[in-house]
This record gives sequence, structure tokens and C-alpha cells, in this order.
Amino acid sequence: MNNKFKYLITALLGASLLVSGCGSDAGKTAKEEGKVFHYGTMAYGPAMQNASTDPHDTYCGWSTIRYGVGETLFKFDNEMNVQPWLAESYEQMDDYTLKIHLRDDITFSNGKKVTGEAVKACLEDLIKRNDRAPHDLKIDQITADGQTVIIHSSEKVPAMIHYLADPYGAIIDMEAGIKDRIAVGTGPYVAIKVTDQGIELKKNEQYWGQTKPKLDKIVVRSITDGDSLSMAMQSGELDAVQGLPYASLPNFQDTDKYNISSAATSRVYQAAMNFKTPALQDNRIRKAIAMALDKNTFANVLLNGNGVMATGAFPDTTPYGKGLNGPGYDPEQAKTLLKEAGYTETDSDGYVIKDGQPLTLRWLTYTSRQELPLLAEYAQSALKDIGIKLDVNATDNYKDFLKRGEYDIYAQAIVTAPTGDPEYYLMSKIYSGQPYNNGHYNNPRTDAMIDELHNTFDAGQRIELARQIQQQVLDDNAVWYASFLKMNIVMKKNVTGFSAHPCDYYEITPELDIQ
Amino acid sequence: MKRYIWKRLLHLILILIGITFMSFALMHTVSTDTVDILYDQNGGANEAAAAARRASLGLDQDFFTQYASWVVNILHGDMGNSFVSGMPVFTMIMDKLPTTIELMAMALGLTLLISLPLGILAAIRKGSIWDQLVRLLSFTGNSLPDFFIAIILLYIFAVKWHVFSFLGTSSSMLPILPALTLAIAMTAKYTRQIRAVFLDELSKEYVQAALSRGLSYQFVITRYVLRSVLAPLLALLAVSAGSLLGGAAIIESIFLWDGIGKLAVDAIMMRDYPIIQAYVIWMSLIYVGVNLLSDIVCRFLDPRIAAREKED
Repeated sequence: MNNKFKYLITALLGASLLVSGCGSDAGKTAKEEGKVFHYGTMAYGPAMQNASTDPHDTYCGWSTIRYGVGETLFKFDNEMNVQPWLAESYEQMDDYTLKIHLRDDITFSNGKKVTGEAVKACLEDLIKRNDRAPHDLKIDQITADGQTVIIHSSEKVPAMIHYLADPYGAIIDMEAGIKDRIAVGTGPYVAIKVTDQGIELKKNEQYWGQTKPKLDKIVVRSITDGDSLSMAMQSGELDAVQGLPYASLPNFQDTDKYNISSAATSRVYQAAMNFKTPALQDNRIRKAIAMALDKNTFANVLLNGNGVMATGAFPDTTPYGKGLNGPGYDPEQAKTLLKEAGYTETDSDGYVIKDGQPLTLRWLTYTSRQELPLLAEYAQSALKDIGIKLDVNATDNYKDFLKRGEYDIYAQAIVTAPTGDPEYYLMSKIYSGQPYNNGHYNNPRTDAMIDELHNTFDAGQRIELARQIQQQVLDDNAVWYASFLKMNIVMKKNVTGFSAHPCDYYEITPELDIQ
Repeated sequence: MKRYIWKRLLHLILILIGITFMSFALMHTVSTDTVDILYDQNGGANEAAAAARRASLGLDQDFFTQYASWVVNILHGDMGNSFVSGMPVFTMIMDKLPTTIELMAMALGLTLLISLPLGILAAIRKGSIWDQLVRLLSFTGNSLPDFFIAIILLYIFAVKWHVFSFLGTSSSMLPILPALTLAIAMTAKYTRQIRAVFLDELSKEYVQAALSRGLSYQFVITRYVLRSVLAPLLALLAVSAGSLLGGAAIIESIFLWDGIGKLAVDAIMMRDYPIIQAYVIWMSLIYVGVNLLSDIVCRFLDPRIAAREKED
């Protein structure tokens, strides 16, 4: 029996040693390698098409910019205005020609100077290899002279500088090439190891910016399971995490231990009214629907405070999202509008009737965004209160229903300004006859303003036009905008210089530090 | 025996044709494809870019052309490239295979280490407090889903005791925790099976005869009964090994263990058809192969099986 007991103890000790073998060596590494920052994210990996720092490969530019390896000619500020970054200034020579003056003090992380020729070579490779850039930029020819680059486009591209601020526009040294998914950029950090699981970075000792990087090493780890990400943060192994599920955020409310940085992104939850549905051709019905739905309930109750109430298609932190007026939440007024539209009676279930027919609408949505089915259920309940019967169809085969036209309201979550410019959304979602204009909205006045936007280069005029177009859409009640999604970054209390940005391109910057 | 193996291999070809066609057809019943998902999750792109991408992947062709093209490539030994990463599918699967095999081996090893003694203990002490306890553990293990066990283990070992690291890479870690999670769930089933088979054997006449001839209880158990239990246990292990070689997606995802299961689930989410098709082939090969191997080993361990077939 004594021998058996000994064997048992030995086995248990052996097992615990094996388990200890999995233990963290983060502390040791930190002492040996200086300041080490451990960052967990749900937004990195092959499934996101960004497991590389080669910005010209699909969406890998997001990693190049997010993790401080590369920088673009222009960047977005917190209000999504475009500002020069590697560029010093620019001139719109004519409708097809953009002249960019580069800063004279920029070097790649290998010490080589960033010249017009280097930028030209990089942009030429971009339009040759990237799937989206040639369609966005429509570049015909690039010429370079000293620190000047001239871009000739084959069509008018008023949003050219916005597209150049897209992460695919990160400027890298083409002569150095891409080795093991590592590109040589101009950012404050240099990638030293890139795998499907994460990225390791070291300080760029030759960084050109006035603020020098403060961390010696950064380890970015892809963690795609929300519970694991939350526990990795709770265990203290990570200094910051991005993409925590809403349900996990209450674990990090202790302000003595953690800070949470939030920013409203331009991902909007919207519902487009189908103008082919006879009942919805009456603006009073569309307005009644908009007035029966409470955005506050969706953003602050159903999304647990992780939404920001929307008026138009763009957050009001952006210049073209300000000063808009849409119908407010007022169910009593909604009922009055239905009466005015001829729905004067109700059946035994409480639904309004016109000519003996109840007002029944089909709400189409999909489930891959977990908040959309919630929105559908809420809408069903809220519209019942004013007497409208809503049949919810939440399916991942939504495209089939869209093709067959079997819906009256189509709810979706989309990013309205990925490159900070309103034209793409307005042209594809609002302009008449466009395949993504799911509501078949058609107002010649709106179309004319979108046409004008497409031909306008002046930033101030573009803002004003974008506002007017949205106001027209709101007046027509063509689309109901519910909420923008917030992005959260949770970090330890001792982390400084780290904050969520509305376009979620910029995460690791030279300001990032651990106290 | 040779005839039997040839027959099973012929079955494999039929299975492969049927199952790859069905999975291809099922994937195409969904209206969203890789391009929709890729562009949507990253904020969208203009139609021309989406159309060009679709054409470059061959997604603009009709269903039968796509399937025929895939079959022709497979017959030339080309599994194609991932729609998402652009990497060769064969390389991707081969990269993930060692980690999956490692996890499978450790999970099966732990399962046997725990379930064999517990099952035997419950059988030879039938009705005792040990038996009751083992059965209670078995019921509990059966009722708890994998992911729940995983989260509890992670909470204890990573958050509270700090003996598991999220930051290690697969190559520098042993899959103790994910293997233990899988083993706990499998042990619950194995223990009950082993107990039942053991009890069945103990009640047979040859055991009583051996004991009445004066052979020790320990000798009878280890030399006769245990050997008889091995054949059904092997069949059970074959099924588990097949399932684990297909990957344990949820467990791999929770423990950041980069195996085939996670690859397959990611591919399904992204509608990455070349990987899904390769995975379907892989699973068919595993199940047919592992069952064939288990049959051969069973015949070797228990010559009565072959003898019975000869008599028939």
C-alpha cells in the first residue's frame, strides 16, 4: 500500500511538472528584453486575411498599420478628417491629377530615405497586386521627381486622398521586398516574426517621428475565442485586448485595475424600407415605423451600452454626420400617422386594418451579426404596439430573399465610411438602381446631389452635400438608422497612449507605453 | 483478408465521390460566398473589385463546372489554394496535422489512464461505494459539455493558478489542458463501457472454471479478462481517434491550439470551399482507414474473430 501511495504521489508530481511546463515565461522575457507589451486581439489571423505585414496582400495592410509597422501618405484624425502623414501637403492639379509633396525627413526602418521614386514603386506594386486598390484609385500613371509624386487617374476620383489613407496604401520599401510576411515600413515598430497566430515587433530605433517608440518589444497574439481572450486578460498575461464580447466587459469595470477606451465606429445598424411594397410607398407609414422604434433601447439596453444612437449613416463625430434631423421616438404620433394613412380600425389581435387587410410586413435580416436578430425581435415587439404585424426572417440565406424581393424591410450592419469618405455608401446604398440599394429608393433630387458629390473635389462642399443627401433620405424615411457599434479596447491601468480610434486602423502608435 | 481490404478500399472510392459531391452541393445552397463574407467583415468593397475577386476564384461559374474543375484538379493531386489565405490547401493541412495528432495522442492516453482503472475498479467492486462513485463521475462527465469543462479548467489553471499560458505557441506547449478536457468527456463514456464489458466477461464460464482450477484472481483478470476487453476497447478507441483526428474545433479554439478542427470550422465560416472539400476527404480517409486498422488489429488480438468468419 505504501508503495502504491508513493507511485501515486510521483505520478501527480510528474503531471504537475508537465502542466508547469506550459507556464508563462512572460515575466522572465520582460526582464531580459526591456519593456514588453502583450496584446491580445480577435481581429488578426488568416480568416481576417491579415496575417502578414505586406500591405498589398488583400487586407494585410490593416496589420501593417494597426501594429505600427507602416504608415500611409494620409491618415484620419479622430473626426475622420484626412490629414497628411508621410505626405507634407498635396495639390489637386486638375480633376485627374493629384500632386503630393512628401516629407523630407522620413526613413524606412532599414535606414533608407523615403523618396518620390520609392513611393511610386510602392503604389505601382499596390495597384498591380491588391484586389481593391485599382478599382478605388483608378490610377493611370504615376510620376516621381525628388520628394514629389504625381498621380494621374483615368477617371475623376475626388476621394483619392481618402483611398490613399486606406491601410493598403502603407508605404513600404519595395527594394527590400517581403520576406516571411515581413515588410519594411516607416512605422515606430519593426516586425520580426509573423505567423498565423500573431506578430512579434521590436522598436524601430531609426523612427523618423518626433515621438519615439517607448516599448522594446510587442507581442500581438490572435485569440479568436471571446472567453479565452477575457481570461487571458484576467490572468494578467496580456496588457491589453481588443474585441472582447460585450458580455465580458463587466469583468473589467474595476477602474483601479483596468481602463476601457471606446470609440463609435461607422458600422451602422440600419433598416431599409422596400419602396416596391405598396404600403411602404406611403411616407406616413415609413415615418410611423421610424417613430415606433426606440434607438435608445437598442443602443443602451439591447447592446448593453455598446452602441451609439444614430441619426444618419455616419457618426456625428464625423463632419458629414453632424446637424441631421430624423423622426424621434414617439409611438403615439406613429399611431396617428397610421390613422391618417387610412388604418383606422384594429382586428381582434390589435393589428391595424385598411380595407379589411391587416398591415403585415416582412423584416429580413441575417444572423452572422449577433445584434441583428435582437434588433428584429425588438422591432417586432415595438411595431406590434402601434398595430403593425412584423414577420421576422433572420436567415443566412438572405441573399436569396433579396434576389426574389421577398421582404419589406431589410436590416443589416454595414461600415458606411471605411475610408472616411461618404461617397461610397451614398452611391452604392442610396443612388437609384444600384444593386446594393436594397430598398429600391428612387428620388431624382437625391440622385442629382450624389452625382454632384461625385464631381466635387472641395472638402467643405463634399461635407455639405453629404449632409443634404442624408437629410433627404431621412425626410423620405427611406432608411432607419438605429445605432453605431462601439469598439472597445481594455487595458491594464499602467498602459498609456493607447486608445480606440473610430476607423480602427490605428492601435499601436509611438505614444504607447507601460508605466 | 486481402479481399476484405480491397472491398473496403472500393467502398472508400464510392464514399469519396458521394460525400464530396454532397458537401459541394450543400455549400452552394447558401447564397453568401467567400467574397461576400471577406468584404463584409472588412467594411465592404466596390462591386467591380468583388466581381473580379469572384472571377479569379472561379466562383462566377456554375455549380457543375466548379465541381468538375475541382475533381480534375484532385485527380492531378492538386487540392487547390485556400480562397482566403491563398496558401496551398495540402500544405495548410499538413502544417496542422502534427498538432492535431499530438492532441489526439495525449487525449487518448489520458482517457485510457483514467478510464481503464476506474472501469475495472467499478466492475470488480460492483455495488460498492467505489462503483457508485465511478458511476456518479461518469454521469457527471457525460452531462458536462466540452467547452464548459474547458472554461472551468482554464479559469483554475490560467486565471487562478497561472500554470497555463495563453502566449506560448503550439510548438512550445504540451496540450495538457485541452487533452484533459477531451479526456474528461471521453472517460465518462469509456468507464461505463469498460465496466460493462468487464462485468460481462467476469460472468462467463471460463472465468469461473479458471478460478475453480485454483488460478489466482489477479492472474485470471490480467491474463484472460483484460485481453478480452481489449478488442471492444480498441473499436471504441478507433472511433475516438477518427473523431479527434478530425479536430476538436471548440477546444482548439478555446485553448488556442492550432489544429485541423479550427482550420475546418474557420473554413466553413468563411465558405472556403477548397479547404472544406479537403477536410471532407481527410475525414472519409480517417474513418475508413482507422476502422480498417482496428479490424485488422482485432483479428490479431482475438483469433476467434477470424475463426468465426471462416466457419461462416
